[in-house]
Amino acid sequence: MIFQLDLSVADLLLLLPEIFLTLWLCLLLSLDFSLKRMTHQQLAYLSIAGLAVTGLILLGFDQAGTTGALFKNMFVLDRMGIFFKLIIVGATALVLFMSIDYVKDFRFFRGEYYVMVVMSALGMMFMASSNDLLSVFVTLEFSTFGFYVLVAYLRDDQRSSEAGLKFFILGVFAAGLLAYGISLVYGETGTLIFSEMTGTPGSYGLAIGYILIFAALGFKIGAVPFHAWIPDTYQGAPTPVTAFLSIAPKAAALAILIRMFYVSLASFKPMWVLLFVVASIFSMTYGNIVAIAQKNIKRLLAYSGIAQIGNIMIGLAAGTKQGSDAIMFFLLTYLFANLGAFAVIIAVSRVMKSDEIEDYNGLNRRSPFLAASMLLFLLSLAGVPPLAGFIGKIYLFIAAIKEELYTLLIVGLINIVISMYYYLIVVKKMYINEPTDSSPILASMPIKVAVYVGIAGTVLLGVYPGPFIDWAVSASLMFSNIAGPTAAASLLPGG
Amino acid sequence: MGEYSLLIILFAPFLGAIALMFVPREEALLVRMTAAISAGISLMASFYIFLAYDTAKGGFQFVQRYAWSEELGIAFYLGVDGIGGPLVFASAILLFAGIFVSWHIKDRTKEFYMFLLILAAATIGVFMSLDLFFLYFFYEMSVLPMYLLLGVWGSHTKGYLSMTNPEERKLRDSIGFIFNFGSNSKEYAAMKLTLFLSAGAVVALMGILLIYHLSGLHTFDIVVLREQAHFSDNVATLIWFLIFFGFASIAPIWPLHSWSPVGHAAAPAATSMLHAGVLMKLGHFSIIRVAFEILPDSTREWMWVAAVLCVFSIIYGGLVSYFAKDTKYVIGYSSSSHMGYIFLGMAALSYISLSGAVIYMFAHALATSMLFAMAGWVYDQTHSRDIPSLGGLVEKMPFIAGAFIVACMASIGMPGTINFIAEVMIIVGSWDAYPFQVVVAVLGIVLTLAYMFKMMRGLFYGRLDPEYAHATDARHWVDRMPLLLLIVCSITLGIFPGHFYEVVRSTVEPMVDRINQVAPLITQNTQGLLP
Repeated sequence: MIFQLDLSVADLLLLLPEIFLTLWLCLLLSLDFSLKRMTHQQLAYLSIAGLAVTGLILLGFDQAGTTGALFKNMFVLDRMGIFFKLIIVGATALVLFMSIDYVKDFRFFRGEYYVMVVMSALGMMFMASSNDLLSVFVTLEFSTFGFYVLVAYLRDDQRSSEAGLKFFILGVFAAGLLAYGISLVYGETGTLIFSEMTGTPGSYGLAIGYILIFAALGFKIGAVPFHAWIPDTYQGAPTPVTAFLSIAPKAAALAILIRMFYVSLASFKPMWVLLFVVASIFSMTYGNIVAIAQKNIKRLLAYSGIAQIGNIMIGLAAGTKQGSDAIMFFLLTYLFANLGAFAVIIAVSRVMKSDEIEDYNGLNRRSPFLAASMLLFLLSLAGVPPLAGFIGKIYLFIAAIKEELYTLLIVGLINIVISMYYYLIVVKKMYINEPTDSSPILASMPIKVAVYVGIAGTVLLGVYPGPFIDWAVSASLMFSNIAGPTAAASLLPGG
Repeated sequence: MGEYSLLIILFAPFLGAIALMFVPREEALLVRMTAAISAGISLMASFYIFLAYDTAKGGFQFVQRYAWSEELGIAFYLGVDGIGGPLVFASAILLFAGIFVSWHIKDRTKEFYMFLLILAAATIGVFMSLDLFFLYFFYEMSVLPMYLLLGVWGSHTKGYLSMTNPEERKLRDSIGFIFNFGSNSKEYAAMKLTLFLSAGAVVALMGILLIYHLSGLHTFDIVVLREQAHFSDNVATLIWFLIFFGFASIAPIWPLHSWSPVGHAAAPAATSMLHAGVLMKLGHFSIIRVAFEILPDSTREWMWVAAVLCVFSIIYGGLVSYFAKDTKYVIGYSSSSHMGYIFLGMAALSYISLSGAVIYMFAHALATSMLFAMAGWVYDQTHSRDIPSLGGLVEKMPFIAGAFIVACMASIGMPGTINFIAEVMIIVGSWDAYPFQVVVAVLGIVLTLAYMFKMMRGLFYGRLDPEYAHATDARHWVDRMPLLLLIVCSITLGIFPGHFYEVVRSTVEPMVDRINQVAPLITQNTQGLLP
């Protein structure tokens, strides 16, 4: 394959958000080195400003309808890509807000922290646009390198180092699987670009290749059975990094999963529907049941995250345009609720110096604001109306029932009740139990910003989701020709 | 304001809850006044729709419809018929009364009133939703505030078992043990209630999603679904059972009732009032709104299930009430028992019995919430709910004792109260279809008489324990007003039920005709009702 770069300036415009963010990253790094007087707070706000500009550019693209493909279709900018990039940029900005307090406790490398976060975000933005297997591999590794460093950032903390090591070893293993899967798929199809693979005849090589790729991406999103790294890594990593891990890489990997399965594997839909149904059932059930036993709030949210990914995979199992719309909407709701919950955790753990669920005893007396917002976020995660998570789950269920995935639906509904239990346990600690120490817990300004944004998103998406649903629907118009109700359902047990 | 009344009724408590966020928590009086004013607005508007409902026209009135999501087929669609209207009115009365009953709550007043307002508003939302999605939305929304209201402001019960002398422990205790699992903390009660109701809700949600998909219409609009939805027999039966048992768990029908008395016992007075008064009626109401409207054929075919189960509800609840020693258990189990009458009225599917069931929902809401309010007052004064240890309180609280007797009489169904009319209608209307159940229901009334008198005697007459010498009566208007409001409503409607009956009839007649496949204008129900 001869690669000719015949780019015009107009083509490069499609890359504008990424190019801008790359330049901004260099600026951040050099400012950190050169200006000794610059505090890390200023650097943080500067990073947020860069992300804000990137977000505005993306919104402008979305409004103007700018779309296109670059580098022989390796990089594609479409409205779905923009949607996912906005989720990533938004999540990164919120994570930076909640990092500001946390970074004060680092003894070294405060400035580099922000650079690493923004760099990972940049990698994930490329992921959301990658349209062939090679760019999937490169961008995935690009974004993960930042995380390897960030997870182990608390150098003197054993847990953080352990988390980093586990994450690294399993992450590299997943990268190996991905590379091997790509080579198999390339060998069978002779191409790397998703859209050119449609219609290839099925073969064992292709099947194994795709299963390996699914395993690598399943590792990124933390689906059972590729979830083993999640609890320890979530617990050990610095909390803002955990928050970042819990949403942004999942969004980026889901963008790839949707593109890959909806485009290149459209003709094998009955098979991969079964794959997602099984993965979804196991993720939901395992995540929710194990979460009940947790004593640490970060581990609780780790397992709840596994269960939420199970919910998200209901949309992939539906395998329709409505399924992908539901995933995109659900991710929006998850972004606000999950990041908001982590912001509260940071505020509480700065006072308590630990992350045990016991620390939340009597939070309502110590800080009514934090307790009420945590209540909202947890209930949104549990899927209680009128909060965003409820609409997200109903949307996924509607997508699933239109495909008649009854088994999946029944498991999903039972899981709502199971998950209610452990979220309510935290609520019970906050509201019903009495605090051991009743000194007030105060949240700093940046944390409050993150919490307020979380509340606003959680409530707004819950009571007025119409425009956001329409946005998700219009963002994935290219899937409107994907097969409607198909024979897929007949493959299911009980379907 | 006419056409917007439903929005006012629904959003006044929500806006009140939001306003409370900005009221400083030190200003306790301001907090209470904000709650009371928002509930008062809701009450006045609901009184208006109760009076202004056009009985000649019938059907859904005061309709409001706003597109919410075209993609999912959801509209924010409100309207009341002759069943929803009175229940909206009952919810508003209970909310208003409940706010005054809990006037003396000191601990985290602000949060208490916020959750109470949200709970009541969500209940009101169910009664006026004409969209299945919003019906479920408000239904599920009403469950969660209950968790916090019970868990935070509730009280531990000494427990059914510990109140009984161990040497006299007989069969009744083992029954109590099985159904209460021996635990009596408020946390347990709150968690059990929430999980039970959520489990019921997701069963119903499965039914709703099946209606959405298998009708082929992909809409949640009840009005459209009731005209156009058709299902094959097996599917209709499956959906009917999902809907029935999903919603009946909150009603609560035997054997799904065990969360309810535990929950009542743990809850603070105002929450018990709303819980027994209107929350439990969400179940009956939703069955009527969803199963009766959308699946009339399955309803005709399967409603005998309710008639069978209601026998157990009536007898079991009545017996436990008779032997229970905790005031709130007595009232709680008596509520479970009385819910059986509503199921009987619904199952018989005649004009009279179904009208009676609807009126009974309203009547029971008033009577039982009075009882709970006063049990709460007695508990606040004496810190005891153990009937054997109390007694002679009539000396200390004559007003409460008098009101309590009125409430007991209402609960028994004394002529002059609205309960009487409802009970007579259920019994007369169900005779043709279910004579055996009617006999049981009449025995149930005798049983009600027995345990109500027993409780009345145990609390207010006999020897006064000197330990309770400091107990005081409700002297302030704030404490008397909610009880008087409920009594006045109950007796006024009992003496002048005309308009109320017309409101209910205008909706029930076409509904029963449709279910029994009778052409309109035939007023006597002669069709075979047994399966």
